Amino acid sequence: MLGNQKNAIWEALLLTIVVFIFGIFLGMAFEDSKFNEINEYYSQSELSLMDVIALNNLLDLKSSDCNLLIKSNTEFADKIYAEATLLEKYESSGKITSTLKIAHKKYDLLRTFLWINSIKIKDKCPKNYSFVVYLYEYEQKDLTQKAKQGVWSNVLFDLKQEEGNKIILIPIAVDSNLTSLNSIVSKFNISEFPVIIINNKDVITELSTTNQLKKYLS
Amino acid sequence: MEILTIIYLTYSFIALYFLFLFFLIYIPNRKEMFNFPNLTKEYSLSIVIPCHNEEETIGGTINSLLELDYKGLKKIIVVDDCSTDNSYKVIEAIAKKHPKVMLVKTPKNTGKASGAKNYGAKFVNTELIGFVDADSYPQKDSVNKMVGFFDDIKTGAVTSQVLVKRREKFIEKLQAIEYKIIAFSRKLLGFIDAIYVTPGPLAIYRKEVFDKVGGFDENNLTEDIEITWHIVYSGYNVKMSLPAKAHTISPDNLKDWFKQRIRWNVGGIQTINKYKKTFLKKGMLGNFILPFFLFSWFVGIFGIFILTYRFLRRIFINYFFTAYSIKAQTALLTLRDINLTPNVLVFFGIGILILSLSFTAIVLLHLRETEFKKHGFLNILSYMFVYLLAYPFLLIASIYKFLRKKRSW
Repeated sequence: MLGNQKNAIWEALLLTIVVFIFGIFLGMAFEDSKFNEINEYYSQSELSLMDVIALNNLLDLKSSDCNLLIKSNTEFADKIYAEATLLEKYESSGKITSTLKIAHKKYDLLRTFLWINSIKIKDKCPKNYSFVVYLYEYEQKDLTQKAKQGVWSNVLFDLKQEEGNKIILIPIAVDSNLTSLNSIVSKFNISEFPVIIINNKDVITELSTTNQLKKYLS
Repeated sequence: MEILTIIYLTYSFIALYFLFLFFLIYIPNRKEMFNFPNLTKEYSLSIVIPCHNEEETIGGTINSLLELDYKGLKKIIVVDDCSTDNSYKVIEAIAKKHPKVMLVKTPKNTGKASGAKNYGAKFVNTELIGFVDADSYPQKDSVNKMVGFFDDIKTGAVTSQVLVKRREKFIEKLQAIEYKIIAFSRKLLGFIDAIYVTPGPLAIYRKEVFDKVGGFDENNLTEDIEITWHIVYSGYNVKMSLPAKAHTISPDNLKDWFKQRIRWNVGGIQTINKYKKTFLKKGMLGNFILPFFLFSWFVGIFGIFILTYRFLRRIFINYFFTAYSIKAQTALLTLRDINLTPNVLVFFGIGILILSLSFTAIVLLHLRETEFKKHGFLNILSYMFVYLLAYPFLLIASIYKFLRKKRSW
């Protein structure tokens, strides 16, 4: 009888292993479901981007108007900004797999496209709108810089709320190791992140208020 | 996967393991929890009470022993360890009225409960020897429910359920819950021969075994843990009688509570140190009790370092976040900061919480008392989420004390 009782030690270990493995698989399935959800958004956003690029190409043929192009670009930017916010929330649930990190990288690439497109549009359509690129580090280890990134994020959110369609907000993680992104960023000789680049000319490294940022807008 | 995630998952695994272990022992034995062997023989028994400055409680303790309905009780030996209060007079007055009560005094203060206990044991010549702390009150039928276990010649000691006597202050109420969980867990561990302590409020030893292990180790602050390990080490079993109850006075303020817990932990460290060579050897002592102790301590201490690191990191980030937010004139907290997306750690956490609450509920339902019906939901929550968190801090303080060799009772 006593010998059987002591089997509980191994039975508990076995049960724990089984429950633990089940829990890990459940967690992976949960993370995958979030990734799939984000992927669906991403596919739609990809279509939107292609649409904006197509419109941009039409502009080269002088057969499209700037208003439509800016409107489409802004809508696209707002869409992926909202999706990025959702992704950010989901990312905190990504504990086991790295699928959501990959999704983040894909969005960074999409936003790099958006940045390039915004530069082109700004050149061709000198209208009253601005684009604000926020470059930060995804794997930020420095705690003060991490705190600063959190505050920058809030400041830019406030700015977007106040300015609405007048600005395009493009937050991009610079440590995504994207060649195209690195190429653009290298032109600005930036040594430390986070930074804000407004309309591809003003590089702001010091934390500012929304009112101070507004002065740089077109 | 991040290192912190791996650490959290490891902790979840350990917590799940111990919860499952307790449930797997409990389920098949749930109807036997309160069983005890009937008396087939009236073993002769002497009970030793070590006493040092306990004038307020010693009288009650002796009286509770005088009221025991066990017929084999021959002597109650009260050892006055050179008290400086009126303990001696109180004992003397009772001894004069009751021939069973024998008052002895140590030649000089031993400085430790173990010293007084060993001194009292010299006057015992019965088959069994019991020990009761001078601030504890065994119930009338408690010994009757313990002695039957000695019919098994391999039984070296029998322990009882220790309950908190006074439950007026908040800290006493929390300890009342804690003591029940400890007692219930000890009973469960008894089913796998893994009882690791025979607490001072009421424990009975086979005198032959007691002598064989050389009595209590006077260099150990928790002689009741050490002697239990020694008995198991010597090849004997230790049994637990859950229906045998003894009430004890628990610390009623944080300072005394802290002091008591430090003593328990330092004694635990001393015991681990003494029996470290049995690790993964020598039956249940080396294969379960010692690893169980070591493991739970390592987990507690490492956990507190992780928590401290996370806490300091959070404070650091929040400080800079606040400073930068003020500079940038932006909100400190927004609705966007609220994130209710769960993750795998949350799932495990909820699972462990449900199992822990269920275990606590089972314990409290099983150990209901007629005189104290309810513990209060808030007290239970405080015990689970605040009180238990203090354990690792106590361990760290105990290790510091152990290293500084500050040992006295």
